[in-house]
Amino acid sequence: MGGPVASSSARRGLLPGLATPTPGSAVWYYRRSPLGLLAAGVIAVFVVAAVAAPWLTPFADQGRGDAELPSRLMAPNAVNWLGTDDLGRDILARLLFGARTALIVAVGVVAAAVIIGVLVGAIAGYFGGWVDEILMRITDTFLAFPPLLLAVVVAAALGPSLRNTIVAIAVSWWPWYARQVRAQVLSLRERPFVQALQVVGVPTRQIITRHVIPNAMTPVWVQSTADLGAAVLTAAGLSFVGLGPRPPTADWGVMIADGRQFVLSGQWWIAGFAGLAITLVALAFNLMGDVIRDVTDPKTRGNL
Amino acid sequence: MRYLLRRLVTSLVVVLGVVTITFITSRLVPSDPASLYAGPRARPEQVERVRQELNLDAPVVNQYASYLTDLATGDLGVSFATRRSIAADLVQFLPATLELALLATGLSMLIGIPLGVIAAGRRGARTGSKASKARRQRSDAGIRLFAVTSVSVPVFWTALLFQMIFAGELDLLPLSGRTSSSVSFREWTGFFLIDSVLSGSPSNVWDVIKHLMLPVAVMAAYPLGLTIRLIRGSMLEVLGEPFIEAARLAGIDERTVMYRLALKNALAPALTILGLTFAYSVSSAFLVEAVFNWPGIGRYLTDAIVRIDFPVITAAALVITVIYVVVNLGLDLLQVRLDPRVELD
Amino acid sequence: MGFRRLLAVAMGLSLLATACGDSGSDEAGSGGGRFVYANPFPISDLDPSSAFSSENVVLQNVYETLTTYNPPGASDLVSGALAESWEANDDATVWTFNLREGVTFHDGAALTAQAVVDSLQRTIDLDLGAAFILLPIDSMEAVDDLTVQFNLAYPAPMDLVMSSNYGVYIMSPEAVSQDDAWFNEGNEAGTGPYTISSFTPGESTVLTQYEDYWGGWTDGQIAEAEIQLVEDPVLAEQLVRGGDADFTYNLPFDSYDALSSEDGLTVVRAQSMTNLFGLLNHERLSPEVREAMVLSFPYDDVVESLYGGESSRAQGIVPQAVWGSSDSLTLPETDLARAAELISAAGAEGTEVTYSFDAGTTEQQQIGEVWKTNLADIGIDLVLDPLTFDARWEIAQADPANAQDVFTMFWFPTFVTPYDFLFSLFHSEDAPFFNLGYYSNPEFDTLIDDGDAVSGLSPDEAADLFTKAQQILIEDNAAVFMLDVPNTEVISSDVEGHVANPAYANVVRFYNLTR
Repeated sequence: MGGPVASSSARRGLLPGLATPTPGSAVWYYRRSPLGLLAAGVIAVFVVAAVAAPWLTPFADQGRGDAELPSRLMAPNAVNWLGTDDLGRDILARLLFGARTALIVAVGVVAAAVIIGVLVGAIAGYFGGWVDEILMRITDTFLAFPPLLLAVVVAAALGPSLRNTIVAIAVSWWPWYARQVRAQVLSLRERPFVQALQVVGVPTRQIITRHVIPNAMTPVWVQSTADLGAAVLTAAGLSFVGLGPRPPTADWGVMIADGRQFVLSGQWWIAGFAGLAITLVALAFNLMGDVIRDVTDPKTRGNL
Repeated sequence: MRYLLRRLVTSLVVVLGVVTITFITSRLVPSDPASLYAGPRARPEQVERVRQELNLDAPVVNQYASYLTDLATGDLGVSFATRRSIAADLVQFLPATLELALLATGLSMLIGIPLGVIAAGRRGARTGSKASKARRQRSDAGIRLFAVTSVSVPVFWTALLFQMIFAGELDLLPLSGRTSSSVSFREWTGFFLIDSVLSGSPSNVWDVIKHLMLPVAVMAAYPLGLTIRLIRGSMLEVLGEPFIEAARLAGIDERTVMYRLALKNALAPALTILGLTFAYSVSSAFLVEAVFNWPGIGRYLTDAIVRIDFPVITAAALVITVIYVVVNLGLDLLQVRLDPRVELD
Repeated sequence: MGFRRLLAVAMGLSLLATACGDSGSDEAGSGGGRFVYANPFPISDLDPSSAFSSENVVLQNVYETLTTYNPPGASDLVSGALAESWEANDDATVWTFNLREGVTFHDGAALTAQAVVDSLQRTIDLDLGAAFILLPIDSMEAVDDLTVQFNLAYPAPMDLVMSSNYGVYIMSPEAVSQDDAWFNEGNEAGTGPYTISSFTPGESTVLTQYEDYWGGWTDGQIAEAEIQLVEDPVLAEQLVRGGDADFTYNLPFDSYDALSSEDGLTVVRAQSMTNLFGLLNHERLSPEVREAMVLSFPYDDVVESLYGGESSRAQGIVPQAVWGSSDSLTLPETDLARAAELISAAGAEGTEVTYSFDAGTTEQQQIGEVWKTNLADIGIDLVLDPLTFDARWEIAQADPANAQDVFTMFWFPTFVTPYDFLFSLFHSEDAPFFNLGYYSNPEFDTLIDDGDAVSGLSPDEAADLFTKAQQILIEDNAAVFMLDVPNTEVISSDVEGHVANPAYANVVRFYNLTR
């Protein structure tokens, strides 16, 4: 296929600009990249929020879903800093527990996609021939699926739950990794050290897992960083149309969907803060992806 | 020619793959299509009769085979929930989505390409004082940040925000729908922009435009960010090539270098984004259509998903995929014509 | 281009929009006799024999039935529509209806007894939708041009049956011979005051006056009505606020207070015959746990907070708006302490209870979330399980021992009788159909069957029997009776003549309106 390797990552908007080389070390680079640092900060806050959610709020029960009807639909105030939703739950607590959901989905999706993609890509690339042909035809089919559509169809088929959201998105994402890894492995295969290992009689499985895959992973790490953000975004979209985790699990996409009916009557804080959280996290991961890409690939180094 | 043939075969395989995957997943769903078809409160005998009528008691393989045969003859079947012809429904809903997607693509190109070129130009700024260089590079960073932000904002949230501001607070634009309820005209093409012009009434045209503004703007955000990033990257790559250096050394002015030489060369590889943007818009339309009550194929699909009406899910997915595949195929071929660096096969 | 420039461009665009905005926004205004109905649910089946959901919004204006059920406050349960009078024999097995003279169908044919017989026979033959309400009919005959006689296999209240929202519409002989595709292209041939002038599935249905309507026309009546699909309540609210729609319902309950103070809008608070309840699985839940479930339900919180005070707590399974309902039943109150005792006495702490509800139905979900909060306090973990209705139904019908614990659902009567609720939801069944708590009590069965047999002749006597049966359900903790769903509507204040009739909830009879 012509073009799809470059365009495939672009499909999710993750291809950064390719910049002319600029001299300088990674440290120099970071110093010149305040946005990168800011992104790292947002990601750190996100991860801490997700991990430590129960200890960060006095309303942990509400974060988990307990209703508190007397305090429903309160605007941000001294007690509920970001207000409450229509079941009286503290928005901040819901956001913190929603971070947990988002982190689980993001890591789950990327991990699953990477594992499948790397295995398929490595096997196809290493063995070549008909194995490659078959695996890559399958990969191409998945690649040609319109973005989001497959995830929506699979999520609908499996029914709403956190695990199913992960499966649904991962199913449509692994092919990108498979293609990338295959390309890497194709060139690695011809490298002298791999051929030496073959001659010495190291078992194929060992060559693939110990030597080929580790050396093919750099672009995978770069891609997966930005994909974490895209996963948060995609999962929010699924939740928004009702294909998210089961209630009362806190979820940012669900918060926007639920908060929608109140926005026009002036109660903006339910959907407002949730949308902000999604945007910030997705933005941070995208920026981070750019930074890492620029650092690891000298050819594309450029300032942010 | 061989290339074309191979691409056509691959595309067919893809479409078949999509049909197969949606068919299989739709059979995994815990639902009873027969009772959906028979309607609420249907008695067991009614459901059983429907099951036989719809051939739902046959083995899945046979159902799949007969589904494919029907497809081959252009028969998309009927909706289990509404019992209406799916083909007729698609004819009705597709133009609404295409109209949105085309306009959103156009808008994102119109703004995105210049911004991408400007960013690349600022990034590679060579002339002027150190301070002016720094300032120009900051504006590159600004455009890049704008681009990355617009691919990071959830589209349904932007939609809500815009509705709140432009329809709610300012009351400038209609909240939703394709026309005001009092406006009606003959639907020749299903593209209301065209139909309203054909109706000959400027107030109709204006009504349609007002309804298009918010959804198009919202839908364009993501492709806009994409376009800026891709054009910028593609431009920087071209700007790094020797012939640009040579042109600059020859004293050709910067404007000509950027727009005549660089952009022309950068545009060809960036053509793919046109297809991507459009295809992305079509398949992500369901999020925008849900918020703006837009009677398009995306909303048709989500309605079907909610009801697990799988003939509709499969058919809608099929149509979206065909659009996607055809657009990408067409653009790849166009790119081959335009860009000598891309080799056949 | 810097950001300031971008911002300037954006502002410029919005100014442009302001400048031109005023020219077209007020077009919907008075318009003289046009009415826009923002419909939250799609019109998916226009075949009058098989339609069985919100299509009645259209069908009730296009077709007519032999009788109609009266709004609350009337002395009789039903009035004549296409029938002017009717009588039954002593055991309610032979019913004779005398038709109105001079009625014509929209295709010009005259209303005859044979047309009535053929219309109903079409429903029976198709056997879809509400066809089951005609099951008592053994035979029908056109005695003369304007007299129809029903011979029943067993007693049934045919006057009530013929007022149903579904399955009993009368259509012209020409239409009887058509298939559902013909109707779903927007064709029709009823006797009602309006004809369908255009039908765009998934968008709108436009109705215009039928000139030769037997009721005649006067000035000021609605000439054209558009039923527009607006599934999103947020949008529907905005449309009525902006004057782009004249009527809607199904809005968030928090909205109605604000809307009632809005100029030009009237909020109509009416009863409905739809209620919400949770059937408790008798195969899986012990009597103690069932009682604890009933006692832990937040009755008042749900009514006050989730429904903004618009609804009322259910008084048993028969909604208050249905004849034969009772307001003298002894109902349980929320009592978490007592519920906790029951649970610990039964050693049931830590039990997981599944709550099956319709995916995407906010009320059912939020009720589940609030109930879950209460149940957590008494050691029960309520697991919310959202699925489409037919998926839930399939699971519920398969194997009671492995099915859901609580089956939450809305119910409305197909024709107005308490027996619809009592029989469908609680009568013993050989195989589960809608008795999805799998309740079985012979004493209860006998009471309601007796009640049904006399309901055509003596509604009062029937009501007594139904009330006794309802008290048994409450004592047995057969279900959690949550609430009678409020039927709150918003209509433009300049329109007069709308009566909210619980039997035809959310139907606007455009013929009765003037503006």
